[in-house]
This record gives sequence, C-alpha cells and structure tokens, in this order.
Amino acid sequence: MTTPLLTLNDLRDRRGTFCLEIPALTLQPGGVYALCGSNGAGKSSLLRILALLHPPEQGRLALNGRPLLSEAQRQQGRQQVTLVEQAPLLFDGSVIENLAFGLKLRHITGAEQQQRIDAALSTVGLDGFGPRRARDLSGGESRRVALARAMVLRPRLLLLDEPSAGLDAATLPLFERSLLTLNREGTTLVVVSHDPDQPRRLGAEVLRLECGRLVPTTTETTL
Amino acid sequence: MGFLGESLQHALTLILAFDAEVVSTVWTSLYTSTVAILLAALIGVPAGTLLALSRFRGRRFALTLLNTLMALPTVVVGLVLFGLFSRMGPLGVLGLLFTPYAMIAGQMVLATPIVAHYTVAAVTGADGRIFNTALTLGASRCRAALILLREIRFGIIAAIVAGFGRVIAEVGVAMMLGGNIRGTTRTMTTAIALETSKGEFAFGLALGIVLLTVALTVNLCLNLLQQR
Repeated sequence: MTTPLLTLNDLRDRRGTFCLEIPALTLQPGGVYALCGSNGAGKSSLLRILALLHPPEQGRLALNGRPLLSEAQRQQGRQQVTLVEQAPLLFDGSVIENLAFGLKLRHITGAEQQQRIDAALSTVGLDGFGPRRARDLSGGESRRVALARAMVLRPRLLLLDEPSAGLDAATLPLFERSLLTLNREGTTLVVVSHDPDQPRRLGAEVLRLECGRLVPTTTETTL
Repeated sequence: MGFLGESLQHALTLILAFDAEVVSTVWTSLYTSTVAILLAALIGVPAGTLLALSRFRGRRFALTLLNTLMALPTVVVGLVLFGLFSRMGPLGVLGLLFTPYAMIAGQMVLATPIVAHYTVAAVTGADGRIFNTALTLGASRCRAALILLREIRFGIIAAIVAGFGRVIAEVGVAMMLGGNIRGTTRTMTTAIALETSKGEFAFGLALGIVLLTVALTVNLCLNLLQQR
C-alpha cells in the first residue's frame, strides 16, 4: 500500500468566529484535487495549513507518513510543498531573481537553474520576461510569474489558490497542460478554483468545503 | 552690525576656512555617532525584528519597555555608564572613561531602543505575504526574516537614521562620559555648551550651524525614506 503524501487528522483551527474542522483528509501521491466551496468556506485557510505555514490549533499533520510536530520538521516539509496564493507577492528584483529564489535555497544553480526558469516562463506565456523588474508587471503577469516560481521547484505537493484567475483564454490550456505534466512527473496538485469546469479538465477529485467542514461530493474522474 | 551679526559673520568664516578646531570637533561628533549607530543597528534591528515577528508571553510588556527606553534621559545613561566605567566601577580596569569609546557605548545605549522601536514599526507594517512567501518557497524562518528586512530596507534605514539624529544632537552622554577633551572627546554639542559659557559665542555658533545642517540633512533623508 502506498504511503499517503500528506495526511491531516482531527484538524480544528479557530480564527475569530470561524472554525475549520476536518476529521480526516488524505492526499495521495500523484493525485489531483480541486478544493471547491463558496467564499469564506475556509479554502485559503486550509491551503495555508496544508502548506505548513502555520500549525493548526489542534490536529496532526504527516508528510510521507512522518508527523510534522516541530517548526524544524515543518521547514523540512516545506522543501516539498509550495503554495501559490490568490494574491501572490513578488519580491523586489527581476523576474529571474524571483524564480531563482527557491532554486538557490535548494542549491540548484547554473545550467539547470536557467533551463528550469526558461521552461517555466515559457509555460506561463512569459518568454523573455526574465530581466523585467517584477514590481513593474501587471496583476495578471505577476500571478503568472508566481506560478512559474512555484513550478520551477517541482514540488511533491503544489497548492494553488485560484491559479487561472490571471490567465487569458490563450494561456489557460497551456497552463493546465503544464500542470498535468507536472502531475505526471509526480507532483500532487491541490487547486482552489471557481471555474466549475476546471476540476473536470484536470481530472481532479473534488473536495468541497462548506463553513469550514468537508462535505461529501461526487468524484470527477474524466479528463 | 550688532553682536549677533558679527558673531554670525565670524562663525561663517570659521566654517568656510575649515578652522582646524571646528573640523576636529565635527569629526569627533560624526565618528562617535556613526560608530554608535552602526553598533546600535547591529543590536536594534535583529531585536526589533524578533519582537515584531514573535508571539510570546510578556511581548506587550517588552514593547512598552522599549517605548519607555526611547525616552531615556541622556544624563541618566551617562550617570549609569559613568558608574560602570569609573575607576571604582566594575569596568574601570578597561580605562574607557573620558575616551571616545565610552561616548560610543553611551550613544549606542541611547540609540538602540530607537532603532529597535522603528524596526518593530517597519516589520509590523510590512506586507504579511513577504514572510509567508519566503517560507513557502523553502526558506527557514531566519532566512525569511532576512528577506523581509531586505524588502522593507527603506524602513530599516529610516530607523537607523532616526537613531543617528538622536545621538548626533545629544549632549549628556558626550559630556559625562567624554569629558569634552579638546581633540579627542570634544563633540559639537559639548563644545557649543562649553565655548559659549567661555564667551566664544562665534565658535559655538559655527558648530551650531554645522550641527543644524547635519540634523536637517538627517531629517530630510528620513522624510525621503519614509515616502518610499
């Protein structure tokens, strides 16, 4: 039996009056999951917990079967998990510097770094944008750079909060194909989307959140 | 021309002629204040960042204490350090009293809370996504904090400039720990106080003009940085 990529048990996380409560959630290696739900259902909060950005108030998280209890373990885990937020932030500097940031932390330099950056920029339709200053980009371009910045890392788990919002009609199919390519190479995807057709296009298992709780739903299996 | 006019003319002549005593005094001020602020930044910036990013019991008290320390009277700092550095004091053996090093130590004590306070404000006011973005790209919390500081560097420079403004214009610490010794510990502020009392009003005025120019430049820089 395959070890799950990430498991979440007995989660309870309160933020003000809102409470996220998930008894059990398992993400399998190579899976594609679409996290759906109305605004305020807790999708972004759940993504931040899955991204190991902050420990939940209560609950147990395990990555590759290993519990994540300490900050050091979570930091280790974040080498394999990457989140692209709904309104991503680009660091001051060029597009290349932004894309190289995580690669340098992983000691990926030289030709491989350049190759990954070029491929990712091409995937999101931003060929030639490398030297541009990141803060001068439009909102849509910034989102695409943030996507590329996550894609170059080839994480085991990629969490995307409404990734298609900044993409135009021509770039979207290209982008979804590259997500599926990443997935075939072993990256598990969790995608928050308000596009009702996206789960089907990605062949994703739908996880529906309502008022901080996962509710039963049908599973999309067709591409 | 009256007394003030003549003094002003004499003061400007001293400045424009690069009078040796004026230059030496200005140099001592700038040297001690610059070293003090660099040391204060080494302590204040990490301390302020830690205080802004951490959540611990007593944090509110620590912030209140920091605010209180910002208003620390210079003579009190001078008094405490005088006790430490005096021959009978625990650090007397170092022989630091009435040297520029003692002045630097005192000015560092004055500037550190200011640098830390403005760092807390800059970090707290920073875009919360900076730290999380660095984390999610694989940075450690320490590395993420460094990235955050790089992103808000103008706020941090403003904190350091504010601290510099405080130490360049203070007189209590420089007088008590430096002793106003010509050529070694005489700063602009202590010289103004002493020379004016001796009747050398023009000399005091010359230093006053230089000090005012430095203070104005510092505040101009601060304003420009805060607008970025």
